[in-house]
Amino acid sequence: MNVIRKLRNPVLINEWKVRMRSNRAAWVTTLYLLVLGGIVLTFIFLRINFENRYDPDISREIFMFLSILQFGMICLFTPGLTAGVISGERERQTLSVLLTTNLTATKLILGKWLASLSFMIYLVMASLPLYGIVFLYGGISPIQLVQVFGLYLVTMLGLGSVGVLFSTLMKRTGVSIVLTYAFLFAYTAGTFFLYVVAQEMIDYQRRMANLHAMQPNPVWPEWLLSLNPLAVGLHVFEEGVFNRFHDLKAAGNLPFWMIDPYWLYILFFVLLTIGSLELSIYLIKPVRKRLWKR
Amino acid sequence: MIQIDNLRKRYGKMEALKGLSLEIGKGQVFGFVGPNGAGKSTTMLILATLLEPTSGKAYVGGFDVVKQPREVRRLIGYMPDFFGVYDNVTAEEYLDFYASNYDISPQERKEIIPQLLELVSLSHKRDAFVDSLSRGMKQRLGLARSLVHNPDVLILDEPASGLDPRARIELREILKELRNMGKTIIISSHILPELAEMCDVIGIIEGGELVATGSVDEIYAKMQGYKVLKVRMLDQWEEATALLTRHDKVASVKKDGNVLLADFTGTDQEQAALLQQLAAAGLPMASFAEGEGNLEEIFLEIVKGAGS
Ligand SMILES: Nc1ncnc2c1ncn2[C@@H]1O[C@H](COP(=O)(O)OP(=O)(O)O)[C@@H](O)[C@H]1O
Ligand SMILES: [Mg+2]
Repeated sequence: MNVIRKLRNPVLINEWKVRMRSNRAAWVTTLYLLVLGGIVLTFIFLRINFENRYDPDISREIFMFLSILQFGMICLFTPGLTAGVISGERERQTLSVLLTTNLTATKLILGKWLASLSFMIYLVMASLPLYGIVFLYGGISPIQLVQVFGLYLVTMLGLGSVGVLFSTLMKRTGVSIVLTYAFLFAYTAGTFFLYVVAQEMIDYQRRMANLHAMQPNPVWPEWLLSLNPLAVGLHVFEEGVFNRFHDLKAAGNLPFWMIDPYWLYILFFVLLTIGSLELSIYLIKPVRKRLWKR
Repeated sequence: MIQIDNLRKRYGKMEALKGLSLEIGKGQVFGFVGPNGAGKSTTMLILATLLEPTSGKAYVGGFDVVKQPREVRRLIGYMPDFFGVYDNVTAEEYLDFYASNYDISPQERKEIIPQLLELVSLSHKRDAFVDSLSRGMKQRLGLARSLVHNPDVLILDEPASGLDPRARIELREILKELRNMGKTIIISSHILPELAEMCDVIGIIEGGELVATGSVDEIYAKMQGYKVLKVRMLDQWEEATALLTRHDKVASVKKDGNVLLADFTGTDQEQAALLQQLAAAGLPMASFAEGEGNLEEIFLEIVKGAGS
């Protein structure tokens, strides 16, 4: 009983209740699946007509296409959905009253965070049957399917928590949304750019020092790129940039420090999520314990 | 029930509260009156655990508002001067949501919510969406909201402002009922007559300082008898200040350039005697005059509601 009471989140329950009352959710879901399904069917139709045969490769292509499409949608909508949850309460002048109730800051932040993401999580889960169709044609492994959905979930939760953090920090929702998109862009472009620069510099140094080509390159630029959502998305399909990892793995002599970029990404996003939420919880308290004395 | 000790709050360079102290007993209705910008909302925010004071202490039910905010929150119902409501939510759901935030069980909520709606005369609006309610009704719903967990203390920041006269009367009736229920209430306004009838004690705040407290009658008497004596001195201001301060009817003395300003509540005879005393002490007085007190201006403002 006590545990249930501890876990029960009135903010989350209330948002669900209000949202489920309108038919909008049902309409959006239907429309979303129709559009996504339409795209998949068109793709299948065109490819099969063109190639005149069934091929696991086609299935693989559709799967990747679908995944990238959904991933793009997640990145596009998550900031908009989450970056107004706290600042919106502040603008509506409902936050101060909420903060004088028994509701803890933790419950408030977690409730708002999950409520704002739950519809999108539901949408993505609702698209699973579509993947099922593709899956039947072969060409992808169940593990890849699970990995793609893991990537979705972790990215939504992580990016969402950054949105909540900006929403807590900023007075205005507009500013918070812009900052969250800016973060997403700077983060994605930044990790990639730093990776490229690092690789170039290492190459340059090696040429200058005439190092033997047999000596392996340092691994840290690849760790850096492992934090990049697009690179990791491609990596799930064994495409893209982590060639050394794939080669070594295929050869069966993967050194322990060459962590799978996928897991590195997951780990980083889990830490990002926890960090952003903890900071939001700390910041939303109107009267808080001092970390340092003034 | 409420105790405030030497409370200060600075916003940047602006000092909104300059060492406020006051005490409110259990079951008392305390009217917090002062012109706009006097520091009423700031004080109430601190009591509601929403704002950290720069220095000083405040206690509700013996709990420190800074160190024990959770305990304080259980005791208080707070209604801010401006608050919003959620759209898409009915009056009943609105109260239900806040009750659930106080960990009140669904069965219990089903019992108290009709009672609360009854108390604020909104039973007929149970299923109406809150953003469709009139301002007066929203205000009453807000009051019901602050009562969901049956708090001992109510902190109401200008609940009557922006209401038409009828809505004000309705609000006053509800507040009387709450007073009869034994709640400790601190209620603010920038107009004294608005509160006069229903408060046990009135505190007048101006410029972040409590300038007078007492029953309504005492306040009226105190403020009408006020004068400021202006004594221009050539030298020996300290001695003159000491002499003035010793007098019973001098509330406070301030120095402005070479002029001493003394808040004086005495009669003309007492004033004459005071002048003689100053002269007899051989202090170098250049002039002695009486002027309108600062309090008098405040008084006019809050009684007539000027500047609102
Ligand atoms: N957040 C704030 N930042 C800066 N100044 C503020 C803030 N809130 C209030 N003040 C100032 O503090 C003073 C007291 O304000 P307030 O407590 O709201 O007065 P009241 O409620 O009596 O009208 C005013 O001069 C106001 O301008
Ligand atoms: Mg105010």
